[in-house]
Amino acid sequence: MLKIENLHVSVDGKEILKGLTLDVGAGEVHAIMGPNGSGKSTLAYALAGRPGYEITAGKVTFGERDLMSLAPEERAREGVFLGFQYPVEIPGVNNVYLLKAALNAARKHRGLPEVDAFEFLGLVREKMKVMHMDEAFLSRGVNEGFSGGEKKRNEVLQMLMLEPRLAILDETDSGLDIDALKVVANGVNTLRSPERSVVLVTHYQRLLDYIVPDYVHVLVRGRIARSGDKSLALELDRRGYDWISEEAA
Amino acid sequence: MAAPSPLATRIVEEHAAASDSLPAGVVSRERRRSAIDTLAVQGLPTSRDENWKYANLRPLDKVRFAPLAADASANADALSPVTLADLPPRIEGYARYTFVDGVFFPALSAPAERTGISVVSLRSDPERAKRTPPAYALREQSPSKDARFALLNEAFATDGASIRVAAGTDCPTCIELVFVANRDSQTAASYPRVELHVEAGATLGLIERHLSVGSDANFVNTAVSVDIARGASVNHYRVQQSGARAIWFDTLSAVLAQDATYRLHGVSLGGLSARSTINVQLAGERADAGIYVVSLGDRQQVQDAFVLVDHVAPRARSEQIFRGISAGRARVTFNGMVVVRKGAQGTDSQQSLRGLLAGPDAEIDVRPQLEIYTDDVRCSHGATAGKLDDNMLFYLLSRGLDPETAQRLLKWAFLEDVVAKIEVPELRRQIEHSLAGQLKDAAALKELL
Ligand SMILES: Nc1ncnc2c1ncn2[C@@H]1O[C@H](COP(=O)(O)OP(=O)(O)OP(=O)(O)O)[C@@H](O)[C@H]1O
Ligand SMILES: [Mg+2]
Repeated sequence: MLKIENLHVSVDGKEILKGLTLDVGAGEVHAIMGPNGSGKSTLAYALAGRPGYEITAGKVTFGERDLMSLAPEERAREGVFLGFQYPVEIPGVNNVYLLKAALNAARKHRGLPEVDAFEFLGLVREKMKVMHMDEAFLSRGVNEGFSGGEKKRNEVLQMLMLEPRLAILDETDSGLDIDALKVVANGVNTLRSPERSVVLVTHYQRLLDYIVPDYVHVLVRGRIARSGDKSLALELDRRGYDWISEEAA
Repeated sequence: MAAPSPLATRIVEEHAAASDSLPAGVVSRERRRSAIDTLAVQGLPTSRDENWKYANLRPLDKVRFAPLAADASANADALSPVTLADLPPRIEGYARYTFVDGVFFPALSAPAERTGISVVSLRSDPERAKRTPPAYALREQSPSKDARFALLNEAFATDGASIRVAAGTDCPTCIELVFVANRDSQTAASYPRVELHVEAGATLGLIERHLSVGSDANFVNTAVSVDIARGASVNHYRVQQSGARAIWFDTLSAVLAQDATYRLHGVSLGGLSARSTINVQLAGERADAGIYVVSLGDRQQVQDAFVLVDHVAPRARSEQIFRGISAGRARVTFNGMVVVRKGAQGTDSQQSLRGLLAGPDAEIDVRPQLEIYTDDVRCSHGATAGKLDDNMLFYLLSRGLDPETAQRLLKWAFLEDVVAKIEVPELRRQIEHSLAGQLKDAAALKELL
């Protein structure tokens, strides 16, 4: 599904990712952990195509396609979804309008007609229920005045609407209370299927109790320093990152 | 004394030639005389004048200042190439008064009799000019040099609307004035004129539109005076959608008495070169003025606005909000000045001026200016000019929106809070459609409307 080979990414001339290799198969959930500043968000942004994230070496294939050759909106339409660590507030752009525009952009790309207004509302309502979100959020500006946790739920709501083939969730669990964490995890689990893959960036092994990953990777200084299964997350929880950093050095 | 400029000389000459045909009922001969004398000495503003740097004044060299001869327009009903179909749809509840090249056209109007409301064509009521001088003549100081275009209107005006709202009258959904410019700037100028008097405790909703039918290269010079008495309240919507090659000048002077409220909503989209000079004086205690302006410029357009809010009386409140977008090779400017005079203690004044640059060759300039001569004031001022927010843009792209739609959406969002202040739903919809059209994506934005 997603194949990252020897990826080097620079931001403002500074190399952040220094030869990252990662293989995410269809239907798999990969958790990426690692110390602050190790490059997790950089990886997420580079995959989503954020301007300013310069690919200096390496290759990323998504399905059959060279992901890095696609514009950000094309990646999204191909089924890549980024849940932002810090979702931006866009006052004046209606939340429900964005949902609909995003859904229709993806449908158009697949040669499908625009979603019927009635059907669309039904769909949104259903997904909002999963996310325990009040319908009042629909008519507000995108993330405008949302609390930290509400923003994260809104990200997952968008993901549920768009049903991406690859969801990259950058610390979607940060800032959530315990109930919200379960709601978000439930949202992600709803999406899990043999043809969808998820990359979860997280600092907390607790999330992985609810979304059980197939693999756990530790990113240190721009490279994957260690990979394992769920037990690696438990070990990190006990021991921290130092031992891996030292090994990697 | 310096010799009059060539432009001033031409104005004086054109005025002398037209003078016999200018109706005395609209502006008395003495007032016309004095206006032309002042212009002869001062000339029109030039780009060297402090508050005129950004206006495009060059086209004035080529325009004809004289309006259509009075007898020609008296008979013009039958000749008019302007039809009802050329006008925007009416807005329910608003009586319409249409003026073509500054002259009232009953056939294109839909007046309504309402208790306490009097709307008369200035030329139909010769006595009125003597009774009620316009607001800028009521001021304690003489009209500022920035009001020279109003003098030009005074010198040449051939008609206009005189509106009087009797004390205590409640008419929040009331009057629509439509000013149609029709003649080419080299044939005849158009002088829309409004004299509005709202008496104590009255409420008025007024829509004022400016558009072009026929030639899109008009010379229009509007003068509006607004006089709001004690405790009265006015919602004034102004929509400028002149033709693509129109030269549009405008002077609005308002004086607010004690506890008067004025909401001025300006939307400026049209014209090749447009300039509004707005002067709002808070003359009475606790007067309250809100000025909300949206300007869009594209291609070679110049959209220039100068707003002076003059706090004379104590405890008055004012708010200015400006949102402007400049694309193409356009220049969009807003110069918002607040003067808090000695004695205006307890003033509360706010400004939020924001400009958006939507192209590498576009120009935008927002300038807040403050002059405070008293201690006890609350003033907050914000002014920014910049490009679209990259984070917002990327967020929308990451959801699959194409860059053009994402940009238009953000431009739309940028204007949204000011447009939302338009309290007449039908008018707001019309304006939203015009804005969407100007942002060149009516289709993609249609669901927002
Ligand atoms: N524009 C920039 N110029 C220089 N360095 C940058 C720039 N942007 C990001 N960085 C650096 O890149 C490194 C990686 O940042 P990134 O946001 O990817 O970390 P992260 O692993 O997501 O951290 P966290 O766990 O705190 O979210 C950091 O050291 C950061 O300071
Ligand atoms: Mg991060």
